[in-house]
Amino acid sequence: MAQVVPNTLKGFGVTLKQVFKKPLTQQYPEYKHPVYPRFRGRHRLHVHANGLEKCVGCSLCAAACPSDCIRVVAAENTPENRVSAGERYARIYEINLSRCIFCGYCELACPFDAITLGNDFEISEYNRDDLIYDKEMLLKEPVKKVPVADRSLYDTPIPYYRSHS
Amino acid sequence: MSHKQVVMAGTDTRDLTKLAEYEAVGGYASLAKARTLGPEQITNELMASELRGRGGAFFPTGRKWSFVPSPEQNPNPHYLVINADESEPGSFKDNEIISRVPHRFIEGCLITAHAVLAKHVYVYIRGEYLGPYEILVAALEELKQRPDLRGDVTIVVHRGAGAYICGEETALLDSLEGKRGQPRTKPPFPAIAGLYASPTVVNNVETIATVPAIVEMGGAEYAKLGVPNSRGTRLISVSGHVERGGNYEVEPGISLKDLIFAPELGGGVPGGRAVKAVIPGGSSTVILTGDELDVGYDFDSLLAKNTAMGSAGVIVLDERVCMVQLGIRVSEFYEHESCGKCTPCREGTRWMTQILRKLEAGEATERELDLLLSVCDRINGKCLCPLGDTAAMAIASYVAKFRDEFVAHLDGGACPCGDHSPLDGVLAPVAQHIHDHASELVPA
Amino acid sequence: MTDHVTLTIDERTVTVPKGTGLVETAQAAGIEIPVFCYEPRLGPPVGACRMCLVEIEGMPKLQAGCTLTAQEGMVVRTARTSPLASEGQNSTLEFILVNHPLDCPVCDKGGECPLQDLTFRYGPGNTRMTFDKRTQEKPIPLSPTIALDRERCILCYRCTRFSESVSEDNDLVPLNRGANTVIGTFEDQPYRSRFSGNVVELCPVGALTSTQYRFEARPWDIQESPSVCGLCPVGCNISATTREGKVKRIQSRNHPQIDEGWLCDKGRFTYGHLTAADRIKTPLLKGEAGFEPLEWDDALDQAETLLRAGGDTVVTAFSGTESTEQAYALGRLLRAGLGANGAVLPEEIPTALDAYRAPLSSIRDATTIVILTRDLVADRAPIVDLWVKAARRNGATILTEIPEEKLEDAVLISDNAAHAAWLAQDIDAKSAFYLPRTPNGRGVADAWSAAGDGEASNEEPRVVIVSGDDAAADPAVRALAAGADFVIGIGLFQESFEGLADLVLPATSYLERDGTTVNLEGRVQRQRRAVIAPCPDELAWISKLAERFEVEVSPHASLAFEEISGRIYGGVSFAEIGEQAPLPPAAEKGAPVPAPKPVQVPVADGLRVIRYRPLFSGPVVDRVPEVEFQKADHEVGMNPADARERGVIDGDMVTVNSRGNFHRFKARIVRDLPAGTVRLSTYAEGDLTEFVAVRK
Repeated sequence: MAQVVPNTLKGFGVTLKQVFKKPLTQQYPEYKHPVYPRFRGRHRLHVHANGLEKCVGCSLCAAACPSDCIRVVAAENTPENRVSAGERYARIYEINLSRCIFCGYCELACPFDAITLGNDFEISEYNRDDLIYDKEMLLKEPVKKVPVADRSLYDTPIPYYRSHS
Repeated sequence: MSHKQVVMAGTDTRDLTKLAEYEAVGGYASLAKARTLGPEQITNELMASELRGRGGAFFPTGRKWSFVPSPEQNPNPHYLVINADESEPGSFKDNEIISRVPHRFIEGCLITAHAVLAKHVYVYIRGEYLGPYEILVAALEELKQRPDLRGDVTIVVHRGAGAYICGEETALLDSLEGKRGQPRTKPPFPAIAGLYASPTVVNNVETIATVPAIVEMGGAEYAKLGVPNSRGTRLISVSGHVERGGNYEVEPGISLKDLIFAPELGGGVPGGRAVKAVIPGGSSTVILTGDELDVGYDFDSLLAKNTAMGSAGVIVLDERVCMVQLGIRVSEFYEHESCGKCTPCREGTRWMTQILRKLEAGEATERELDLLLSVCDRINGKCLCPLGDTAAMAIASYVAKFRDEFVAHLDGGACPCGDHSPLDGVLAPVAQHIHDHASELVPA
Repeated sequence: MTDHVTLTIDERTVTVPKGTGLVETAQAAGIEIPVFCYEPRLGPPVGACRMCLVEIEGMPKLQAGCTLTAQEGMVVRTARTSPLASEGQNSTLEFILVNHPLDCPVCDKGGECPLQDLTFRYGPGNTRMTFDKRTQEKPIPLSPTIALDRERCILCYRCTRFSESVSEDNDLVPLNRGANTVIGTFEDQPYRSRFSGNVVELCPVGALTSTQYRFEARPWDIQESPSVCGLCPVGCNISATTREGKVKRIQSRNHPQIDEGWLCDKGRFTYGHLTAADRIKTPLLKGEAGFEPLEWDDALDQAETLLRAGGDTVVTAFSGTESTEQAYALGRLLRAGLGANGAVLPEEIPTALDAYRAPLSSIRDATTIVILTRDLVADRAPIVDLWVKAARRNGATILTEIPEEKLEDAVLISDNAAHAAWLAQDIDAKSAFYLPRTPNGRGVADAWSAAGDGEASNEEPRVVIVSGDDAAADPAVRALAAGADFVIGIGLFQESFEGLADLVLPATSYLERDGTTVNLEGRVQRQRRAVIAPCPDELAWISKLAERFEVEVSPHASLAFEEISGRIYGGVSFAEIGEQAPLPPAAEKGAPVPAPKPVQVPVADGLRVIRYRPLFSGPVVDRVPEVEFQKADHEVGMNPADARERGVIDGDMVTVNSRGNFHRFKARIVRDLPAGTVRLSTYAEGDLTEFVAVRK
């Protein structure tokens, strides 16, 4: 019982000390803290310079995915409907971002550098179904821009897909 | 210097393609003699003669015959198949034998058929040998009138369709059966399960044409000719850069130098040019340099030089020849003639050609030269039949013995010989093996 | 131990029976000798791919392990212990990959490819090939069901050997020579064979792929369900590949006694019927303007009303495509619930033939085979045809006429059960096979008998139940149904019941149900559900319906089978049947069977028409466009002699006429056809009489 009063005062003391300090809080979403250059955020699918999709629908990303959140259904390119180079393209490409753990294994597994993890992390939705990103969404530039920290501050090699596409 | 003739004996003075002429020089006497002997006695004579197969593999003929099972062991009909599919570049001796002594060859067939208990003889003749084929058929027509000679043996002449691989005995058998000409795995050997899965003896034309002489003079007498392991005489095809290209029957053991330079044989190199290299036994054998000509032309001496008599096609190459261009021609030939059955030969010969072409264009580096040797090494010893192995050995020998010349091609060096490397009379380019003119060759 | 040899492989000593191949011997020692071209089912080894190179003590060169047999005292070193063999195998893989495209991400074989696997285990890590790889036109449609990618082909000759020495169609051949060798057919004709699909499974790379499976799934996307094919009485063991609840392909699941790992194209390529456009998914009631969908409760009410109206006069016509359990459940409902014992069974199998029971594989070892079938064996039971061909290659004599004398070691194959039972006794055959017309006719007959007893009513049937699409297509069943007041149909496809049934209840296909089926040997095999049907299982609604008639029918196949098994199959359980069903032992030889009356073959001018059901026919095949090219409905089969007489060669168009009716058909020369007859599909034009004239 005798300890209560001094302990309470100690607690108030801590609080009082903070009152005179500069606050750490960042005013998100007004202020966005820059992410590291290799921060793994929302995925992106890429296209070649000639407009053809890089993805051939091989499903290796789905095979590598530890949380089983990628679904690929392939189909055959035809002269009338040429989507990717070669014989095969992804007719359906879906990532369930509510299950994704952003490990980047899909990026490693991809033999064509067709999928990469971008920097966007603002992917919350009101509806779970909206978190299933289809191919069209993944091919588009993200709507919200995320500030990225100056690359030169970090000893970060430039990924092959950035320098060769 | 005169040379003892066995196979071609009598051809200098008479036209032995006629049955009457051949009989006048004692033809078909050996057959009569052989028929008084038992099959085993003939085989024993062959063993005593130390005759080895003239097709290139040097297998003792008598031993081959002795493998044929008796009818009690295998009731299937026995077959004798003659390999006249002479396609080795540089070799044209069988052509000469069939063209000039067809009856001696037929006599050999009949004696051999008697010895191996065969009633059916198939002569698989190279499709392009239209002349020899017609001579052989005419000779067989003559024989038709003489049932006393023919006995109950049927001789069928089958023309090949232009595949080098059908000179390999099992591929030849497949082709004869009407299948795709591709080598079979051995065992079983043809002596046990050959044509139509029956006991079959496959022999070369020259081997068979030697048989009458052996029966006539006796095996022991024949074995006195030649040198150990290469008894009797050989019909040697000399070609390339020599004055007197042609077939010469000589006793093995004669030096390669004599073969090329003796006035009654090769007659030396035209224009007095130096010999750069000699391919001693058809294009599939390891090459010899101009400095290695002091070698006896026989099995053992050539083996000591790591090469072989093969089918006795001596190709002489003079100083103008570019070894890389030679390599391309040889490699292209084997690529074209690979049957496609086993992987190393099918893919490897093509790869070899590609590397050699790059070398010739001067676009290759030291790494490619090593790659070429490595590819050769990786083909060698892994193929189903000897085609791939020998092609790789031959190409590897060009690099080994003329490395400086290959190195000169590297790193933008291009071919030092350029267009002045005369190979056309030596080894035909592969385009000439492609049968666009096949219809002309097949009589209607 | 004279029939065994002991040898050493990689320092392990192993003893195997004499004559065992080196690959199998190594396997027995737990050592892998990698292979591509080696496949013992295709006849003698060819030693083409050079993948199996091993070092053998006393032999100067590396040897192809697949071409050798184990010899006493042999010392073998594989890539595990011999650097030479390891280098050899590495070389082989390097050479194979020199011209093999690295399009694994696109290739259907990727992930289940022996070339990938062996390259990882034995191959070089990188390539030294810097030249352009050989390119070819691709993919080439070898047939509407098979695509050929010649770039990927490694020329192991498995497919051509299958075509030459298993299916013996000789359609698939290697063309050209050397590095330019390609696989193809004569003049680019489609590869049309009853067994063509097997080459897809044999191909060790992605050169031969199924057009139906093309880009559909990757090995890690799929599940495999072990089941049994339900399209013919052979009952080949299959593995159904499914992805996301849909069947994507059918593969063989080698049962060495039944199919030896082969499947016919009907079994392999017709799974598309599951998603046919006119598939029945809900109950249908005939209304003013055709069928109208019905709620299940209403449908059961309707069915109950109709059945009560029919009473004991209800007659059930089976197709023989039902599972044994379904037939049993229907039988319980009708026989116990209504006393309706009338049924049209697809087959009646004389039990006397059970004394001659043997596995199908025993045909291969027969010395004499007596084949007495009106249809070709290959049309009724395709895999049996492969066994017969294997026997013929082994030197067996094939007789197609009733033999005069006893043939103790003969195998009898017949499509007339009663005749076969008599003949088997008469010639004292070693074994006899009856080829039923329907896949599970025997199981249906068994189940019907197990479901109850009692005589069928003599009255005209007021209600007829038509079970299955095949029964609905049967003219006899249609005639019977036409006389009834009401017809209840149970089937897969709406079109089958158009104008026939008043009420149609949806059925499940063999890939959508659990149950058992009895094949022509009398082997009870299990079918497993590969995908969920678009409608409730038959057992579920039959059980509900049976409740209304106070009959207890289990909605679970396992329980239904337990009941049937207790009554007629000696109490075997699902577990005992397992994934590879055993063959029940042959029965004791029973009382002599009376000789059937000889059938009078009518004689008249012209060629006698034999109508037959081609393998590629029936409601299931009709719904798969990919196999349309296999149909023989516009073909007339002719004996070679008859054809020669008329100057007809295979593929010619001929005119067939009788009594003023003319039809054009494509002529096919059929060696096994008796002289003086022609074969026409039952689905071919019907206005031809029994005797026809044929001319070019």
